[in-house]
Amino acid sequence: MKQYDVVIAGGGAIGAACAYFLSRDTDLSIALIDIKKPGNASRASAGGLWAIGESVGLGCGVIFFKTLSKLQSEANGKDIPVMRPHQLPDCFFEFALTSNNMYPELHKEMLDRHGVDFKFERTGLKFIMYNQDDKTYADQILSGIPHLVDQVRWLDEEQLKAEEPYITEDAIGAIDFTCDHQVNPYRLVDAYLEGARQNGVDLILNTQIDEVLRDGNRVFGVTTAEDTYHCKTLINATGAWANELFNKATDMEMPVYPVKGQIVLSERLPKVLRGCVSTSDCYIAQKDNGEILIGSSTEEKGFDTSNSLDKITELSQGATKCLPILKQSNIKRCWAGLRPGTPDELPILGKTPGIEGYLNACGHFRTGILTSAITGKLMTELVMGKPTTLDLTPFSVERFYS
Amino acid sequence: MTTSQPVVIVGAGPSGTAAAAQLGKFGIKSIIIDEAPKIGGVIYRGPFRDSDDLPHLDDNLKRAMSALRTRFSAQKQHIELLTQTRVLGPEGQNKLLLNKLNSLSNLAYQDLILATGCHERSVPFPGWQLPGVMLLGGVQLQIKSGLVKPGTRMALVGTGPLLPLVACQLHKAGVDVVGVYEASQFHKLAKEAIALLNKPKLTLSGLSMMAYLEKHDIPFYYGWGIVDAVGDETLQQISVAPYNECWQADVQNAKTIDVDAIGVGYGFVARSQLAMLLGAQHQYSHVSGYVPILDNWLKSSLENTYIVGDANGLLGADAAICEGQIAAIRIAQKRNKITPKKAAQLAGKVHRKLARIKRFRYGFDRFSARQFGLLELPKDDTVVCRCEQATRSQIDKAIEQGAKDITTLKMRTRIGMGDCQGKTCASYAIDRLQQAGFTHNIGTIQPRFPLDPIPFTLLEDNHETV
Repeated sequence: MKQYDVVIAGGGAIGAACAYFLSRDTDLSIALIDIKKPGNASRASAGGLWAIGESVGLGCGVIFFKTLSKLQSEANGKDIPVMRPHQLPDCFFEFALTSNNMYPELHKEMLDRHGVDFKFERTGLKFIMYNQDDKTYADQILSGIPHLVDQVRWLDEEQLKAEEPYITEDAIGAIDFTCDHQVNPYRLVDAYLEGARQNGVDLILNTQIDEVLRDGNRVFGVTTAEDTYHCKTLINATGAWANELFNKATDMEMPVYPVKGQIVLSERLPKVLRGCVSTSDCYIAQKDNGEILIGSSTEEKGFDTSNSLDKITELSQGATKCLPILKQSNIKRCWAGLRPGTPDELPILGKTPGIEGYLNACGHFRTGILTSAITGKLMTELVMGKPTTLDLTPFSVERFYS
Repeated sequence: MTTSQPVVIVGAGPSGTAAAAQLGKFGIKSIIIDEAPKIGGVIYRGPFRDSDDLPHLDDNLKRAMSALRTRFSAQKQHIELLTQTRVLGPEGQNKLLLNKLNSLSNLAYQDLILATGCHERSVPFPGWQLPGVMLLGGVQLQIKSGLVKPGTRMALVGTGPLLPLVACQLHKAGVDVVGVYEASQFHKLAKEAIALLNKPKLTLSGLSMMAYLEKHDIPFYYGWGIVDAVGDETLQQISVAPYNECWQADVQNAKTIDVDAIGVGYGFVARSQLAMLLGAQHQYSHVSGYVPILDNWLKSSLENTYIVGDANGLLGADAAICEGQIAAIRIAQKRNKITPKKAAQLAGKVHRKLARIKRFRYGFDRFSARQFGLLELPKDDTVVCRCEQATRSQIDKAIEQGAKDITTLKMRTRIGMGDCQGKTCASYAIDRLQQAGFTHNIGTIQPRFPLDPIPFTLLEDNHETV
C-alpha cells in the first residue's frame, strides 16, 4: 500500500498537466497512474492551440459542423446547405483563451527548468475562403465575436498568396486568428510528465486502475493489479474512458463518450505552411518536423479506432484542394483517436455533489491539448481549496442532473 | 460452413503457395497476393530478369525453387495470383485494401491466411548506416534475385546457419570473402549436436559448406563479431573483436579489416504488421520478436485468420510449407470438403514432420540466442532509428528518466514514428527495455494504416472495388 495526497488517473494531456501544475505549485505527494490504450486522444491530436478557431467551429470540429449545417438546411427544406458558424458559449471562450495565454510562458518555463521543449510555434489559424459562401460564413463568424476583432486579420487574395504561396490559387482570401498557435502534442504531454517527474511525482505507467476505494461517500484510493494507492484526492483524467472511473467513484453515470477522429499524416515536406489552416473541409497543420497533419473525422462508433478509406479520402481530397503540393507527397500514416465527448461540448470539471475526495477533469472533447494548461491550474486550485481562476459552475457535472 | 468464396492468402512464399496448392487439392479456390512480380517469396523468388543459368546458386536452392513452382503449377486452375500488389491494411470488416501498381481496390475475404514472412533484425553499431553495410539476407538477395555482386572484398558477421551459406554463395559468385565471424562460441554448437541430428541431411549440407569454406581458405571464426564500420562515403574498414559468452566485444583485441561491403546477420523478426493491424493477439518471443498467438491449426485469435510460415516465428522454408498445408487442411475441414477425421489424419503427418524441423531449429535458436552484449555496440551518437535520427543517448536518457514501455519511449524519442514504422529500430528498443528489467507489458510499436505510403493523388478519384 502506498499513501499519496493526490492520485491522478490518466496520463494524457489533462492528467499530465494536472500532475505538472500540482507538483509545481504545491508540496503535496502525487502519483499519476496511466495505461496506454488504443485511441488515446492526446496521441491522435493535431496539437492546435486554436482558441478562437475551435470556439467558432473551425479546426477539429469543422467536418462535424458542416454535416450538422447540412442536416439543418435539409430540415428547413433548403436544397443548398448553408454553413452556419457553430459558436460555443462565452464561458468556453474564456476557458480556452485563458489557457491559450498560458503557453508562451509555460514553454519557456519548461525549457528553462526541465530541459523539455514542446515546440510552441506562433502560427495563427487561417480560415481559407474559396467562394462567396465561405466569405458569408467568415462574416457570420466575425459578427459572433465582436469582442475579439483585434485578434482577427482579413487577408485578401494577394495578401494570402504573399503569406502562404503554396495555398491554392483558387482561394479568394482568408481570415487569420492571430492568437491561435500550435504545439507538438506528444512533446507537450511528455514535457508535462517529465516536468512532473522532476518535481517528484511518481509516474506509475503501464498500469491499469482496477477499483476505486470508498468509504461511504468518500473516495480514498484506487487498486491496481499489483498495488493499492491511498489518497486524499483522486483526479479523474481518463479521457474517453472517464465515465467508467466516475461510475466506480460515485455509482452514477456521466455523459462522456468516445468520439472518433481519424487523421492523416503526410511524409515530411519542406516548410510549405507558415500558419495552421482550416477550410470548410478539414484542418491542415505542418508540424515542427515537416509532416503535414490533416484532420479530422467526427464519428460515434464506440471505442473502435480503425481507419476507413472513405474518411481518409474525404480528408485527403479536402487537403489537396487547399494545398496542391500534397499531390507530390504520400500519406505516410493514418490513425484515430477517441475524443472524450460531452453533449454540450463543454468539459466536466471539479467536484461531484455528495462525493468527497474526488475531482473530475474530463470531457475535454476536441480541445484537451489547448485547455490542458488551465485545467491543470484549476485542479491545483481546487485541491488547495483556493478560489478558482474561472467560475466552474458551467462545467460542473451537476448540469446533467438538473 | 460451406462456401465457394476463395481463400485469400497474403504472401506467395513457401507457406503461402503451399497453402494454395493444398487448398487446390481439395478443390478450394484461393487468391494469392504478393508484392513481387514472381512467386517464391524472398527465399525462392529467384532472379527478376530471365536467367536459367545460375551457376553460383547451390543445387539445394535450385531444387527447392523448382519444387515450389511445380506445387503451384499443379493447382494453377484453382489459384488466382495478384502480383505486384501490396496490402495496405484492413478496410472495414473482413476486407483488405490493396494497392496494385498504384490502383486501389478492396478484397473481401471469408478465410484469410497471412504468410507475410519475416524481415531482418537490424543491429545498430557505429557506422551501420554506411553504404556497403548490408543485412545478410539483403546480401543474399543481391546474388539470388539481383544477380549482382554485393561487393568485391567482403566479410560476414552475425550468427546462425545463414552465415556459412551466404559465404559459399558469395565465393561462388566471385566475391573475395575475407572472413566469417560467428558471434557464438563453437562449444555451444557442439551442445546442440543431438538437436541437429533431427535433420541429418541439412546438418550434412551444413558440414559440407564448412568444408567448402575451409577448402577455399575462407576463415570462419566462432565467438567473434562486429565492433564498428568506418569509411569516408562508403564502407572501407570494419573492426571485429572476440565476443564473450554475453557477446560483449573485447575491444582490446579487436582487429581491423579492409572491406568494401559486409553482411550483418543477427537474426530475423516476424513480419507481423498486418496481423497486428487486423487485431490478432501477439506475444513477445526472444527469437522472432512479436509473434501471433495461434492454436494447433495456426489459427490466430481472429476467428477466420491463419498465420503461417516465418510470419509467426522463424522456422525456415520447410516448416513454412508444413504450416501452410496445416492451415489449408483446417479450412477444407471447416468448409466440409473433408471430415474431421481425415483432417486430423492429414494434419498429423505434417505435424510430425514439422516437429522434427522444430527440434532441429530450436537447437540453432539456442546456439544463436541473441545476447545483450550487442546492445552495447552503439556509441552515444549512433543513430538507432534512422527514419527519425534518434540516437542511442536519447534512448538511454528516456529510460533513465523512467520510460518503461515502447509507447513512452516512442513519444519521448520519436523512435518508430518514421516511414518504416519501427521495423528497423523496434527490436533494439525492446531489447533495451528488457535489459533495463522491464519485461512485463512493454508493448510494441503499434502498426498504423497504411502499411505502405499511399500517394495523395490516388485518393483524388473514387476507388474501385474488386
